Amino acid sequence: MKRFGKLSLLFAVAFCIALGAANAIAASKYPEKPITVIIHAGAGGGSDIFARTMAAAIEKERILPQPLVVENKPGGSGGIAFAYVAGKKKDPYFLVTAVTSFLTTPLMGLTPVGLKDFTPVANFAFDEYMLMVNTKSKFKTAKEAIDFARANPKKVTVGGTQLGSSDSICTYLIEKAAGVQLNYVVFNGGGEVNAALLGGHIDMAVANPGEALELYKSGKVRILGVFQEKRLVGAPDIPTLKEQGINAIYVQNRGLCAPAGIPADALKTLEEAFLKYTKTEAFKKYCKDNMLTEAYMDSAAFGKFLEEWNGKYAVILKDMNLIKKK
Amino acid sequence: MLNIFDNLILGFQVATSWENILFCFIGVLIGTLIGVLPGIGPTTGIAILIPITFGMSATTAIITLAGIYYGAMYGGSTTSILINLPGESASVMTMLDGYQMAKKGRPGPALGMAALASFIAGTVAIVLLTLIAPPLASYAVSFGPPEYFALTFMGLTLVSALGGDKPLKAYISAVVGLMISCVGIDAISGVARFTMGSMSLLDGVGFIGMAIGLFAISEILVNIEEPIKQVFSDAKLGIRSLFPNLQDWKDSFGALWRGSLLGFFIGTLPGSGATLCSFIAYAVEKKLSAHPEKFGTGVIEGVAAPEGANNAAAGGAMVPLLTLGIPSGGATAVMLGALMIHGLRPGPMLFSTNPEFVWGLIASMYIGNVFLVILNMPLVGLWVKLLKVPYKVLMPLILTISATGIFATDNNVFDMWVMFFFGMVGYVMRKLDFPAAPMVLALVIGRLVEMSLRQSLTISHGDISIFFTRPISGVLTVVALLSLFSPLFRILWSRYKAPGKSLA
Repeated sequence: MKRFGKLSLLFAVAFCIALGAANAIAASKYPEKPITVIIHAGAGGGSDIFARTMAAAIEKERILPQPLVVENKPGGSGGIAFAYVAGKKKDPYFLVTAVTSFLTTPLMGLTPVGLKDFTPVANFAFDEYMLMVNTKSKFKTAKEAIDFARANPKKVTVGGTQLGSSDSICTYLIEKAAGVQLNYVVFNGGGEVNAALLGGHIDMAVANPGEALELYKSGKVRILGVFQEKRLVGAPDIPTLKEQGINAIYVQNRGLCAPAGIPADALKTLEEAFLKYTKTEAFKKYCKDNMLTEAYMDSAAFGKFLEEWNGKYAVILKDMNLIKKK
Repeated sequence: MLNIFDNLILGFQVATSWENILFCFIGVLIGTLIGVLPGIGPTTGIAILIPITFGMSATTAIITLAGIYYGAMYGGSTTSILINLPGESASVMTMLDGYQMAKKGRPGPALGMAALASFIAGTVAIVLLTLIAPPLASYAVSFGPPEYFALTFMGLTLVSALGGDKPLKAYISAVVGLMISCVGIDAISGVARFTMGSMSLLDGVGFIGMAIGLFAISEILVNIEEPIKQVFSDAKLGIRSLFPNLQDWKDSFGALWRGSLLGFFIGTLPGSGATLCSFIAYAVEKKLSAHPEKFGTGVIEGVAAPEGANNAAAGGAMVPLLTLGIPSGGATAVMLGALMIHGLRPGPMLFSTNPEFVWGLIASMYIGNVFLVILNMPLVGLWVKLLKVPYKVLMPLILTISATGIFATDNNVFDMWVMFFFGMVGYVMRKLDFPAAPMVLALVIGRLVEMSLRQSLTISHGDISIFFTRPISGVLTVVALLSLFSPLFRILWSRYKAPGKSLA
């Protein structure tokens, strides 16, 4: 009996080793279990829609052999989600949504992790930004508004979300480009900004097309210009700010990042899968519905993009007095 | 008028298709359950269940999600009344008198009134939504930062109404709540305040965790102290005692219609939320009552007013969503997201471009409200039996379910620690006889007050006359100041009168 016990122990050990070996072989066949996509914001927001649409399409079109599981970890301007995913070092089964806050939250010192703790995986699209006024506003063009603002410093109110957000950065870019001083009013969310604009409580608002276009189509707001080099394909009658002499260019990226140091083959699999996804009808429809500009970038290109904007944001945020001096 | 009638008929044609009726029922059923479960409120509930609507048409999807939303407002009152545990944030006010009624052996009428008040107010709100939604849109946006400040500041001065006979302790509790509301990242300056380096505190102290801790966990701690006895064992559970009697109806009549109207109109304002509505309705009812001292001891108006208000608010919240595409709070923001997943983008043209969608939804809300009352009235008898469960079984269950619910909201363990921390704070407060409700409400209102105050002053470049020169905010600010200083005036007046009397 004793011998049998020893034998079975030996067998068990051998079995475990065999299992481990099998695991090692299977590891090259990434993914062998579902991949978790952590959304850095709450349900129903832009990043949530982005990730859920993607997960549904990838499963439906069988782009990956395993499903993507979507999980919201909102809070701390995205910091909670970023720290959580960065902590999964080298694990290719975790991805996190990356938009502006992916760079600005670490820069503002709100989370201990930063760009170096992640592997950029892919970028999918850009959110465009627009400057709009109530239809009843006396400002017919961006130039008129800026001329007025130049003559009356800090008199023109601009609504947007939390300081450090895309909205606030857009406002800052206008101030820099036109050499004016605006009065930025912070609201809790895009909906509240729109309500304040419609009620005539603020003069202008920064919005992305997803939030603004329905109000524009129904004639409630006038869009003075887009923060882009060229006019938008979906809205060719709206001028850019640049053609009105205000050189303010801004886009928000929509991408995914993984923890730093994931295996190269896993990264390759993900890149291929996401490139395939950007060719699907579901993705095209998502971009059209949400007025996004398609902009796929692979890991290397996305990494370069993030580096470049990280530098730009560092300057902007420092100028806005949002980077703590240590 | 005829036009609305035609539209409503169109709506009912849409809403009475078999799948819309079925999913309306499923929606309100899930909503009731989500309301009953502590921690998980309508916002999380809708978010979790969005994927089940993927296969549906946009109209069926929104009918289901809206059902979850107003269904949760029904269900939230159940645990508040029975075990002093707020099922969702808007039912904190229902606890104050509801739980006391249950303790006095009248859990049935409290639950019954909560359900019927929800039904009546819910229906009033839908009728108002049907008749005046488009013109109301301009009213909703007429509230700018100064008006929000005036409204929430007035709410803050009403906090003393929650203190029973101890106004000073109520104010102290409220001030602590205001201090806690300062924790977190300040949106206006981007500075992290009082977070002590914790990332989880960047968004501030979670309201629902604090509420469950202060009320339910502290209740459990107090019960551990004494040999466990069944408080409710003497409750009459006969079928007749389950329903509010004629006197209850007489007492609640005023509260019901005032609660409905207040809830609806405040509910239409973006950013205010059902919690604020139920609080203001309760406070107003107490101010108007002939016997304000009885509030908090188990009066039925104290259940009818907030329950009516939070259900009417759910209807009111649909106004800015459907007419402008602007969500008024967390739950409607998630619904807006769901609609966008379905490729439908609400905006000012929704009423004209998708009438079958809008009117189908409105008609389904009439149907859903009837479902809810049919569903909830028989459940009253069942819920009351819950009180027969021995405490030593019930309490660990409450603890586990609360902790799970809190965790599930944001998938964050930290929120559970918040709950336990405030459980201990609540225990100490009970011992020292401090009311917990003012602290909880100050946390909610404090953030609104601060935000709108600073927005207003940014717009006016620091000039406080902005609060007095605009008609709505002027009136509300003056009312708030009068309410705040009225005790002082009363004292001064009596001092002034007293010597006069002695002379005569």
